[in-house]
Amino acid sequence: MAQEVHTLAQTPITSHSFSPDRTKLAASLNSNDVQIYSRQGAEWLPTETLSEHDKLITSIDWAPQSNRIVTASQDRNAYVWQEVQDPETGKVVWKPTLVLLRINRAATYVRWSPKEDKFAVASGARAIAICSFDEENNWWVSKLLKKPIRSTVLAVDWHPNNVLLAAGSADMKARVFSAYIKEVDDRPAATVWGSKLPFNTICGEYASPAGGWVHTVGFSPSGDVLAFASEYPFGYRRFASQLTDMHEGHDSSVNVVYPTGPVFNIRISSLPFVTLTWTAENSLVAAGHDCQPFVFSGSEEGWQSVGSLDDAAGAKAADGPRAGYGGNTSVGRLKTGAFATFRDADSRGQSSLGGAGSPTADTKLLTVHQNTITNIRPYQGHPSQVSLVSTTGVDGKLVIWDVNAVAGGR
Amino acid sequence: MDTAFRKIDIDQYDEDVLHESELYDADPRDPSQVLEEAKQRQAAVRTALSRSDVLSALTTILESPPYGPNVDQAKEITLQTLLTILNTTKSTEIPAVIKGLSQDAQDTLMKYLYKGMAMPGWGDISGSVLLGWHEKLTEIAGTGCIVRTLTDRRLV
Repeated sequence: MAQEVHTLAQTPITSHSFSPDRTKLAASLNSNDVQIYSRQGAEWLPTETLSEHDKLITSIDWAPQSNRIVTASQDRNAYVWQEVQDPETGKVVWKPTLVLLRINRAATYVRWSPKEDKFAVASGARAIAICSFDEENNWWVSKLLKKPIRSTVLAVDWHPNNVLLAAGSADMKARVFSAYIKEVDDRPAATVWGSKLPFNTICGEYASPAGGWVHTVGFSPSGDVLAFASEYPFGYRRFASQLTDMHEGHDSSVNVVYPTGPVFNIRISSLPFVTLTWTAENSLVAAGHDCQPFVFSGSEEGWQSVGSLDDAAGAKAADGPRAGYGGNTSVGRLKTGAFATFRDADSRGQSSLGGAGSPTADTKLLTVHQNTITNIRPYQGHPSQVSLVSTTGVDGKLVIWDVNAVAGGR
Repeated sequence: MDTAFRKIDIDQYDEDVLHESELYDADPRDPSQVLEEAKQRQAAVRTALSRSDVLSALTTILESPPYGPNVDQAKEITLQTLLTILNTTKSTEIPAVIKGLSQDAQDTLMKYLYKGMAMPGWGDISGSVLLGWHEKLTEIAGTGCIVRTLTDRRLV
């Protein structure tokens, strides 16, 4: 097995983030609490619970250098958690600090800036709150990026220069903003995205080609390329993330933007992606409703799909040939158990519910994840050369993948 | 209980409301021009079909299809023409024809298949023909093609 699989829970995992040394994991199990897990041998054991939010937590980010956790929730709040020593008991506990977000809708996504002196909170209030620490008052204050966002912001990603921010939104656009805060940032050097960058400068705006929500966005390690992916606008899933600098959309496409050059749109034959991460300047991994991570690679010359990290096709071959569509993994799923169950019930009046051992009773997917992957993050390696990535999904599983173990081209 | 409030158009009180027209880029062509083009394509398709060249007939009709408001007649002609092609193609030829289409054309074809299935009893629509094409198209272009069709606001 090229991957490490942990089942954290029987409930969906809405977000996950590892501690800097990867010995701890913060995850939200579709609830109002953050669960901290510690690694004990091969197991992840729950050790602490962070309770402060009073609605569902939508996103978690653990700062790699400053060891602080930021959480965003549907209760319209964000908290920054810091480890402090309790003066009475002497134990080290996580202490929350409220952030004044000034938004009137749910917070959907949160990410620390590379220098960890700011973070961005995406929200349903057609705004992104850029939060920085106010020393005088000892709290986090926010400044809102509003124009020209027309709908819920579903994902954000920071440029390595700590100033530019990519955002994917349900108005079917991926945008690049300047999130320059005078009190925090030095004057940024010119980048391919522009040179004069006062707050809320729009450095780029890219539509998702078939009009899908932009669920995930991501800047390449150098920050010179953006990817995004979009999703179809029906039945909004809370976890829609889009790639920035590469946007992934819900229209089943991945888009890679070179601001001074071409924009590539890779249409995929499978279901839409909701999350993506770059693993090198010329490659990225995207995952979503197809329950398996796909690798894409390319350059300014062009981009293409390389294959899946999940050897579902191999598992299928081992299972013996199946009736119906063969070959293409994604399409093959059309005829897996659930489909056959309904077809038999319809055409032959057979119900296979009681028939244990019957091949049609098998509704297990051939992929490792048994449901939509909602989060993918780099796990090991320098940003420009990530070797392992972690994914969590609606099936409650945490999987760590070797990004070089690509199974089968498509 | 008074339920009239449910019918209130709350969007009229929102000055920042998102309009239908902002959801996609409008067709730059003039409606009369679109209609003219649709008629020309109809003729071109007839010529291609008389040579039983299904692939070029399909390629022609699926290129820059009419979408958006005010082009209903052009849409109708295009759908009618497309159905003629679908109905006259032998089922054994379908996979080869679909493989010959560009990704754009495959996505557009899927839009028309769904449009056809949404209009039972209109013209000479036959459900089994549409489903036959749908099956073959999904095999080749994948479920992603269906998702793009469901998503796209540029309705044909």
